[in-house]
Amino acid sequence: MKPIPRRKFIQRSTQIGGSLLLLPALEACKFLGTQSSGNYFLKEFGIDESICRKLLAKALSRGGDFADLYFEYAVSNYLGLEDGKVNQSYGDISLGVGIRTVKGDQIGYGFTQDLNEESMMSAAATASTLCDMNATSVGSSFNSLRTGNYYPVAPDFNGIPGQSKLPLLQDINKKCFALSPEVVKVNAGFMSSAKRMMVVASDGSQAEDLIPSGFIYASVVAERNGKREQSGWNLGGRRDFSFYTDEVVSEVAGKAVNNTLKLFDAIQPPAGEMPVVLGPGVTGILLHEAIGHGMEADFNRKNISTYSTMIGKKVAEPFVNIIDDGTNMNLSGSINVDDEGTPGKKTVLVENGILTSYIHDKISAKHYGVEPTGNGRRQDFQNYPIPRMRNTYMLGGTATPDDVIKEAANGIYVENVSNGQVKIGEGDFAFYVSQGRMIENGKLTSPIKDVNIMGNGPKMLANITLAANDLEMFLGGGGQCGKNGQGVPVSFGMPTCLVKSLTVGGTQQKGGLS
Amino acid sequence: MKNLKEQQMSFPDLAAWVIDQTKKAGAQDCRVSLSRRRLVEINYRDRKPEVIKEATTKNLYLEVFMNNRFAGQSTPDFRQSTLAGFITGVVDNAKIMEEDPFRTLPDPKYYNGRTNVDLQLSDPDHKLITPENRHEMVKTVEEACLLKGADKVISVEAGEYDESSEEFVKSSNGFEGSSNGTYCQAGASMTARDEGDRRPAGYHYIGCRYKSDLPSLQGIGTEAAIRTLDLMGGKKIATSTVPVILENRGVARVLSGLFGPMSGGAIQQKRSFLADKKGTTIGSKLLTLTDDPYIPRGLGSKYYDGDGFPARKRDFFKEGTVNEFLIDWYYSRKLGWEPTSGSISNLIVPPGKRSVEAIVKDLHRCILITDYIGGNSNSTTGDFSVGIIGKLFEKGRFVQNVAEMNIADNHLKFWKKLVEVANDPWQYSQARLPSLVFEGVVVAGI
Repeated sequence: MKPIPRRKFIQRSTQIGGSLLLLPALEACKFLGTQSSGNYFLKEFGIDESICRKLLAKALSRGGDFADLYFEYAVSNYLGLEDGKVNQSYGDISLGVGIRTVKGDQIGYGFTQDLNEESMMSAAATASTLCDMNATSVGSSFNSLRTGNYYPVAPDFNGIPGQSKLPLLQDINKKCFALSPEVVKVNAGFMSSAKRMMVVASDGSQAEDLIPSGFIYASVVAERNGKREQSGWNLGGRRDFSFYTDEVVSEVAGKAVNNTLKLFDAIQPPAGEMPVVLGPGVTGILLHEAIGHGMEADFNRKNISTYSTMIGKKVAEPFVNIIDDGTNMNLSGSINVDDEGTPGKKTVLVENGILTSYIHDKISAKHYGVEPTGNGRRQDFQNYPIPRMRNTYMLGGTATPDDVIKEAANGIYVENVSNGQVKIGEGDFAFYVSQGRMIENGKLTSPIKDVNIMGNGPKMLANITLAANDLEMFLGGGGQCGKNGQGVPVSFGMPTCLVKSLTVGGTQQKGGLS
Repeated sequence: MKNLKEQQMSFPDLAAWVIDQTKKAGAQDCRVSLSRRRLVEINYRDRKPEVIKEATTKNLYLEVFMNNRFAGQSTPDFRQSTLAGFITGVVDNAKIMEEDPFRTLPDPKYYNGRTNVDLQLSDPDHKLITPENRHEMVKTVEEACLLKGADKVISVEAGEYDESSEEFVKSSNGFEGSSNGTYCQAGASMTARDEGDRRPAGYHYIGCRYKSDLPSLQGIGTEAAIRTLDLMGGKKIATSTVPVILENRGVARVLSGLFGPMSGGAIQQKRSFLADKKGTTIGSKLLTLTDDPYIPRGLGSKYYDGDGFPARKRDFFKEGTVNEFLIDWYYSRKLGWEPTSGSISNLIVPPGKRSVEAIVKDLHRCILITDYIGGNSNSTTGDFSVGIIGKLFEKGRFVQNVAEMNIADNHLKFWKKLVEVANDPWQYSQARLPSLVFEGVVVAGI
């Protein structure tokens, strides 16, 4: 093995910006090697077939169905602007290997930040403690998997240097202030990262990937008649610097200011059950929370999801089709290969209203006797993979958006959503509406804000009664999904659609608006 | 492979070396934080190990201050051969930043006054925990949960997690601090059979700095089952305005909406609905909230904060009045205020005299909120909205479990509705808060 080359490592900090939990991080990507995926860990860290074979043999030395190695080197950087100056620089590095031994649905897991043989063998020994049988053999040869390329970058991609980010952040600041005299504070940030990973499994499969990601955001505070409001916007995904054009900067600034100013006229809706129309795009977070998590196969093989007995059954009206997709170009949840070595795929979860598939990793796929769907994902090498969503969306229907609003008659229209949560066993979910409109007599009326909406996933799915023909994907780069303490980037999409009834958590009972 | 290993220096020696090298690279000031953590996690499901995980992590975080410019970066690689390049890189990153006159290390006078009291943050017996101990702990918790859950059990997952950690912080202008800590947690989550397709899941996990402070493991497992069975049949009821009781362990979920707006950053950036409320009454007389870093074995106890300021006991709210904000060094300079420390330790609300059970008996109709789902709080306006799970009582008698419901309000109104504090502060969190009773809260349902 060769010495680890000189590089710059950075620390991850956290800050809320935009509408979702954003994790500004790192830069210094210039220290990554220049080659695209393919033998990166051999060239930079001397991880060759011989050491991989040795580690896998150790991980399976006490038996097990299979073992895998997940090598990771990720460098990230966050630059932030406050009070007109780009004055915050934080960075982070993630470097190490996670070693997993699997026996049935049991997992032994060890990891180390030191890519020397002694430390890695120790991690492999930890993983092996799960079993107490005769050793399992390792495949005789390693073959690289063929994968898609859903976030192409130039062969010399090294991440996005800090110097490139500065003028964009300064431009966002200027644009926000220029858009309205009511803007009093602007925070802007640019997070980017470049991650190299390699998975080597005892069945002889091997895959490498180079994953660019990031987003740019603006968060705005405005004042009107002594009252303040704040909102923001972000754009990004699995992209290199070429995405961050002047048009993108203008869109982020424009939406951040516009979203903020709209709030001055917003009211809180009445509390209680009512029809809810989901606008296109970011409202797909409801799909993610209300339905997607319940379809993750680990919850189902453990029999703890409300969808555990519903495969092949009708769960929605015939016009409802729901997809979880790793193959969308440049979206945050896209994957060339998942974190246990299954190539990215497109998975139909609900087809014509029938539940057709769960979201699988290798363990659950074996349990159900199906092929893995490419959803085995993990936050980093310190965690083992579990079934996770990628880009989850519902296909459009045939109605127009106006038809959907008219059909609702009286209720609320959801424009922007900030976060959500689900209880898997009950199927109950919540999502937070940061912006929306009242629907009165089939028309959009007063703006609304800051209201939590509650429902039950299976009931909600069955209560989608109309969908428009305007499917829109969320193009933000800050979407993070949390499960079992692990965060992974995801995206979602939604056409305008009507949910017959959900509980809206306002501050006054029906009959009066607050 | 030998060339990937180097002799490791002690934390104090490594920190001194990094500071020396950073200054030689051109920085005027710097601060280095070193940490190491050993963790073990064991989970069981269906009476067999589901996950066994064990590892050691380490981190070096370097903050560079030069010509009013700043950069902070971290690395897990402690080898001097690679740190030399790392340090140069951090300094280079600081150079490209725009000048900010408020970016400096703190005035060293603020480092003085650290307590000499032993806060007992590290269990001397922690290293005696064996793999066999851990497996026995999990089995005990799991069996108790299975026993109590009986025929309602679909699945039980029980787990043990423990860690030991050490840190060392040194700055170029005189701060030096170190701290060791331990933590041990045990608990279980259970999924139960309910009506139709509902499979309510409840949990009970308890963590302490000292393993010996954990309550009975059987009790932990039993409580996990009880809390799950308490969710059975949960349904929403008609939207109504009723008294609500926030159960002790969950009070922080709502209270946390006050902390973001109390930070120097939110105040200076005009994102705080509390910015002009210092000295103003925003809650009932019962809202006294103390931050106490000196509780022995407390999960939030500490000797110093992130700026190196000595931890001190203070009141955020006194009888409903805003008394002190969370002002770190950077924002104290931007605001022109004295720094107060930007982080919290252990949160205390003086307990009342009655139990939740006694309080419920006196309320005509009320909801005891035992868990939350989703929700958010707007730091600029004070508006919040959050989903709730709990129990409905009438005249002291249990009526039904409730789910799929929501409470919403504005913090400036909500805390004035606080009418009683129970006598049950929760011991197993840095938010050591008792149950709180609020009147006239809109609970949205049907």
